[in-house]
Amino acid sequence: MAEEELLERRAIRLAATAADRADAIRQCGETFVEIGATDGSYVDAMLARERSVSTYIGEGVAIPHGTLAGKEAVRRDALAVLRFPDGVDWDGERVTVCVAIAAKGDGHVALLAALAEILMDPDQAAELRNATEPDQVLQLLAPMREGSAS
Amino acid sequence: MPSRTVTIGSTSGLHARPAALFVAAAAAQPVPVTIRTGEKKPVPARSMLSVLSLGAKHGTEVTLEAADGDGAQEAVDALADLLEQNLDAEESTAS
Repeated sequence: MAEEELLERRAIRLAATAADRADAIRQCGETFVEIGATDGSYVDAMLARERSVSTYIGEGVAIPHGTLAGKEAVRRDALAVLRFPDGVDWDGERVTVCVAIAAKGDGHVALLAALAEILMDPDQAAELRNATEPDQVLQLLAPMREGSAS
Repeated sequence: MPSRTVTIGSTSGLHARPAALFVAAAAAQPVPVTIRTGEKKPVPARSMLSVLSLGAKHGTEVTLEAADGDGAQEAVDALADLLEQNLDAEESTAS
């Protein structure tokens, strides 16, 4: 068991459906709770963050994560990737992939930088939006996992 | 060429909320402004992905630049002032 893995295979869900943005965020948070990365209160922190400012970053990708206050609910740094093939309305933008982040310190900054680099390549962004196999996601996001190990 | 180097004042670094506020402010400027860390390649300040790719943390030095022109210095100054503020402040009550 690789419990210390930042992105676990079981935290990748590629055929999710959500009624709306809050539902999508809740599912991301519940994934963290299921894999033991956060307490349940992190879900509320993620919803609070989203009310404060949209976590949409472009290329059909949003990065739900908690507020600073929500960090206490984080047990270990983790990512969750939820793909919504039907799309989710995200304050006027269409989101097909959520890369949810749970991070204790400021490790999320390096994670986001790595994710942004990936998405700035249109081919890689499209591959992530259309991924149907967890292996594709693990391979695409490998730079994020490596970046966090340092 | 108008230019200013400032350190990131936001507790959580230049990501999510601070980045969103910064990118929105940059898009509202009458002239394009670029941002870079160290001697790396400048990227457009109004592109969220570009700004996130900098990986700028609290205390990271960044340089804002704009081509000479009307309002260029004001644009650089306005964005530099924004970066120096703690844009997380209003929600970081429990940290």
